[in-house]
Amino acid sequence: MRAISCTRLFLIFSKIGLTTFGGGFSMATVLRHELVLKRAWLTEREFFDTLSTATAVPGAVAINLAFMQGWKARGYRGALAAAAGTMLPSVVILLFIARFATPYFERPMVASFLKGAGIAVAAQIAFASYTFARNLRVHWQNVFACGLGLGLLIIGLHPVFAVLAGASVGYLLMHERMTRPDDNIAKDI
Amino acid sequence: MMQTFWTLIVSFTVIGLGAYGGGLMTVPLMQHELVVSRDLLSMTQMSQLVAIAQMTPGPIAVNGATFVGYNIAGLAGALLASIVVVLPGVLALVLLLFCREHLPVNTHSLRLRRGLRAGVLGLLLFATWSYSRGVIHSWVEGAIAAAAFAVLLTCEGRVHPLAVIVGAGVLGMLVF
Repeated sequence: MRAISCTRLFLIFSKIGLTTFGGGFSMATVLRHELVLKRAWLTEREFFDTLSTATAVPGAVAINLAFMQGWKARGYRGALAAAAGTMLPSVVILLFIARFATPYFERPMVASFLKGAGIAVAAQIAFASYTFARNLRVHWQNVFACGLGLGLLIIGLHPVFAVLAGASVGYLLMHERMTRPDDNIAKDI
Repeated sequence: MMQTFWTLIVSFTVIGLGAYGGGLMTVPLMQHELVVSRDLLSMTQMSQLVAIAQMTPGPIAVNGATFVGYNIAGLAGALLASIVVVLPGVLALVLLLFCREHLPVNTHSLRLRRGLRAGVLGLLLFATWSYSRGVIHSWVEGAIAAAAFAVLLTCEGRVHPLAVIVGAGVLGMLVF
């Protein structure tokens, strides 16, 4: 990743903040489009590693991911610029809606538009899962960690348990030799 | 007024800590915190909030914080709630990134992160299932979802994902 100014980080993440709907995992599809496919700042693997860490700490995934990415580029100033950039469109738009536009959300045409858009959000989350899965190798430890996490969620536990389960399986059952040379995730964020 | 600000700070710290798993927990948690335990919003306001926070750009937690903060305590409330809601995550990350930069890389942390990725995939699959179940009730809705997925897949990297959202929205205006 080339050196990049804090202003540019702020602007790029503002654009990301403005073009994402549905929160969290749905935003992952847009983040991947902007950071991996379009700008090639991150490889696919680095992106999904950053995404897992952003998910493992509390709070909005997109803000956390922006913060990590900004930190990597420009230290704490970059981190604040990227996080503020992601938040800005949200805050401005919501202030406008809270002040003037709340009633419009009940108009039939708007409701139909939002219903259709909401279905596409489901497709974005599904697509994020698919691209993530495509980047994990199939071995029994991965399948077990993923299945265990999924199982805990299905029985109604808080998502933090899925994350803890995954990390525990990794710690107890995965081996260092499974790390390939191109997969040295520790060097990146 | 101080009392109101304090309530906002406490509520949105709780929401910021618990809004975990990519928006999955955010809505039920906001409902519990704002409607059930603190009575800051009515149930009708809450359902309005959910529709607005999910379908405006940006993270649901930030959208919810701005909307609720504004309705309860004006512009200052909106800014305060929005900043408070991201703080727990940001502070956790500062700690984490600091440790990563200052501690030597070891195989323990590599194994943890390796497992973490698989666990997060489980979370993503669950989010896909639970979100889809919430929005897809008929074959028309299923067809729109399938079409959106197909476009994302075949035009990967060429079409901005926002275009798919807008396209599905316009389609929604025609069929619903």
